[in-house]
Amino acid sequence: MKYSAPVLFALALTACEPPKQEAATPSAVPAASAPKPVEDRSALKQSVVRINSTLQSWNPSQPWEKNPPGQRRALAPIVGKNQVLTTGELVADATYLEFESTDGTRMLPAKVIAVDFEANLALLGPADDEKGAKFFEGTVPLELAVPPRIGDTVDILQVEENGMPLLTAGSLQSVDVITNFLEGQFFLTFEVKASMQSAASSFSLPVLHHGKLAGLLASYNAKDQLSDVTSTELLARFLQAAKTTPYAGFPSLGINTARTEDPSFRKWLKLTDDQGGLYISNVRKGGAAETAGIHKGDVLLSIGEHAIDRRGYYPHPTYGSLFWSHLVRGERSTGDVVSLGLLRDGKPLKLDVTLTRSDESKKLVPSYTFNQAPNYVVKGGLIFQELTQPLLEAFGEEWRSRAPLNLIDALENPEKYEARADRIVFLSAVIATPATIGYERLRNLVVKKVNGQEIRDMKSLAEAFKKGTDGLHSIEFEDENLTVQLDEATTSAVDKQLLQRGIPRLSRVK
Amino acid sequence: MSAARFLLAGLFLISSASAQIAPVAPSEAPADAPSGIYKSVVRIEVASQVPDYSTPWNAGRFGGGIGTGFIIGKNRILTNAHVISNGRRILVNIYGSPQKYAAKVEFVAHDCDLAILSVEDFTNFEKLPVFTFGDVPQLETQVRVIGYPIGGDRLSVTRGVVSRIDFSAYSHSRADSHLVVQIDAAINPGNSGGPVVQDGKVVGVAFQGLRQADNTGYIIPTPVIKRFLKDVEDGHYDSYAELGLGDFPLFNPAMRKALKLPDDNTGVLITNVTPTGSCDGVIKPGDILMSIDGKQVDSAGMVTIDGEDVDMHEIIERKFAGNKVALTILRDGASKDFEITLKPLSWSRMYAIQYEMKPRYIMFAGLVFQPLDTNLFAASKFDDVTLRRLYGDYVPKGIFQKRPDIVVLTRVESDPLTSQLGNFAGYAVDKINGVEVKDLKHANELLHPKEKPEFFAIELFGAERPLVIPSSEVESATKRVQQAYDIEQLSNLED
Repeated sequence: MKYSAPVLFALALTACEPPKQEAATPSAVPAASAPKPVEDRSALKQSVVRINSTLQSWNPSQPWEKNPPGQRRALAPIVGKNQVLTTGELVADATYLEFESTDGTRMLPAKVIAVDFEANLALLGPADDEKGAKFFEGTVPLELAVPPRIGDTVDILQVEENGMPLLTAGSLQSVDVITNFLEGQFFLTFEVKASMQSAASSFSLPVLHHGKLAGLLASYNAKDQLSDVTSTELLARFLQAAKTTPYAGFPSLGINTARTEDPSFRKWLKLTDDQGGLYISNVRKGGAAETAGIHKGDVLLSIGEHAIDRRGYYPHPTYGSLFWSHLVRGERSTGDVVSLGLLRDGKPLKLDVTLTRSDESKKLVPSYTFNQAPNYVVKGGLIFQELTQPLLEAFGEEWRSRAPLNLIDALENPEKYEARADRIVFLSAVIATPATIGYERLRNLVVKKVNGQEIRDMKSLAEAFKKGTDGLHSIEFEDENLTVQLDEATTSAVDKQLLQRGIPRLSRVK
Repeated sequence: MSAARFLLAGLFLISSASAQIAPVAPSEAPADAPSGIYKSVVRIEVASQVPDYSTPWNAGRFGGGIGTGFIIGKNRILTNAHVISNGRRILVNIYGSPQKYAAKVEFVAHDCDLAILSVEDFTNFEKLPVFTFGDVPQLETQVRVIGYPIGGDRLSVTRGVVSRIDFSAYSHSRADSHLVVQIDAAINPGNSGGPVVQDGKVVGVAFQGLRQADNTGYIIPTPVIKRFLKDVEDGHYDSYAELGLGDFPLFNPAMRKALKLPDDNTGVLITNVTPTGSCDGVIKPGDILMSIDGKQVDSAGMVTIDGEDVDMHEIIERKFAGNKVALTILRDGASKDFEITLKPLSWSRMYAIQYEMKPRYIMFAGLVFQPLDTNLFAASKFDDVTLRRLYGDYVPKGIFQKRPDIVVLTRVESDPLTSQLGNFAGYAVDKINGVEVKDLKHANELLHPKEKPEFFAIELFGAERPLVIPSSEVESATKRVQQAYDIEQLSNLED
């Protein structure tokens, strides 16, 4: 699903230009846009590798099989001994990763050392250390730059098909706390204005400042000539965090906020004109804020020593106005304690919050599931799946209005289910079989009970099916006064046939 | 009782303004097709005013169209409801005469798309023949469709055969299904309301077509017409009564086994009983409906009437509110008989397009509140999940018991007081100052209390924060918005 959306990956520049005959001799004319000495540029080849990635996601409607594979390439900086940095997107659902030397002469299978899909970063190393040592022989890791300032010139590094490095100068237009991959995951990002040309296609590119690594280009908008570049600060923190296993990740508060610009709303909240403040519209269950005793309806006035204005910004010493979430995700680590200034019922309040990481895999409806095979059970032709956001996204670009209302509701209002379920298990479709006569039109129904057992996740569903009663299995659905039955004998026969007809396995429960 | 049932988009209604093509003079009618009855087929010209649900204080759109009607009694002209709906001026022409007669609507039934008109002065109609009704025509028999479709100004007659008899959707209300007869005669815009004749008797009223198919015209058969005529005998139209049951077919052998039913293809499982409906408190979800009025219900929910397999609801279709119906159900293995008194379920009109209504609304300090219905849904684009669930669950889950209206903040008119609130349009209102909003009148009371609170805090389902309006600024903001947007009336609380 994800990989068919080209908008997200505007950087896939085509590589169909024929090699220029004379351009191969580096002593020719230096490109006008790159004033650097040619020798310097050639040396950069020793600090980058290409990554070839083969991706394959799971078929949302037939969870026992995968979609057709796709390919991606990236140009990635070497950042340590035999270690390479790229975007999380490149390794999302990857089935095979391979390093390729920039001259195209050598290949080596690669593996993921650490990945953070939220920050969109991944650290890769060789699959085999011995071969890796040989592959990386003679390479020079890039050092991290001092973070550039707004207005500074940075260089975007590309390598052409013929192996020649290509530097494009760009200027750091602004610094913003935004997402460049997954919805709702905001991190410090450089906006770089540069006019890039088509070179070998690539999903990530190193960005240099005075010859050192200042960022990783994650997406390029050719129309506006603007690139989203992961900030130096985030690279540094990710590389630091990647040293420890298991990878800890970036913390979050677990709140949603609303602005307080509306004067009437401010009066009601008893906010004075010199105060800023964000209205806390939702406190996520089990998050750091809930644990610390923050309530829906509190007003967030400050984080640490920084006052938060009415739109959610605070003044950063070098980058100007930044969104508050950077103070949590960008500047602090899991386990840190941060003091929050709040207003509750018009009275000021200080609360210390111990920051935690919200574990996506613990959410009722996970918003991403990369590299995880989906759980499912096929029973007599009924297909049960665990609800995830990628499954909802399979309803197409307009999925928020087109996907079934009860499933969207579970995604948007998980608190309705969280007390009694860890996952939403639903009947996603029905294969017409002798066991499912009369059930063909049932779909997208949330399962409440099987054989009288409450269903908390796919594991409990699989277990509930093991204890049939009187040769029949009963399945009860949420919101419907409907119990459907499967005959054990017919179901077993059907299941055998389904296996014979090529469904490799009838369940996957982890 | 499923939630909002929308029709195939392809169905179209067939009343329209006439086209600008010169008519061809009609030749002599064949001997077997008496033309005497033509004079009783009238051309109906309607000027209409369609209310504007997206700007409820506006007058709406003025328009008009042409349809057909026919005389069925003393000063009674039968036509389709959609020909005259939202009509402001109705004129009737007798075949072959230029004189226009002013008419008015006596009865209208939007759920079965029929209406009865009368003219101010019936004198010139007195001598015209009166149509009588026949039965449901047999498959493959020939029928004639008489009317005033586009393509000319004068009367048109087409012929066709009966292709299908079915229980199907009536697109005028978007929510109702009744018996229909499909014919292959050309039925075109303007034919609406015209008689379909066989052996000199009316066997149906032409009313809709199918856009993506050729030669498919639909007519309202006589059982539906006769039911309508009987319903209005007491002077007003009461509409259909409903059982208020949702069912699931019982084909599956395992399901039959679990319910301890023999393998004989009988009975349907009751899955939903509409709160306050005819069967509420009597039938329960989990019951198995075995027969209606002694007619056995099969496992697909069909019964046999006059040798034809028809949907079991057809039995209820032919009854009226207040009539009794005998249900036999299986509960816990035992057979039970119940006598149900049928009632109409007015709440289910939530899912039908309404006509002749003035949209209800409140404008309060630039915020516009309207009750949710299908007209409003069709005029707006509502994305919010909670609002869409409230709409779908309104009847099946009995939400109407607690909230007769789902009050929606539909518009936020720009004003210094509301300039930050534009994103909140399209959410349903939960509470005003902590009190759950029952309906639009209740919202109006809560917004105009005797003792003014310091703030009006309006909580919306699914919005990130409450809307807050200081009492002291309501009056001036309301006045400014009223002037700027030319809103004559601040509210309309009655349909």
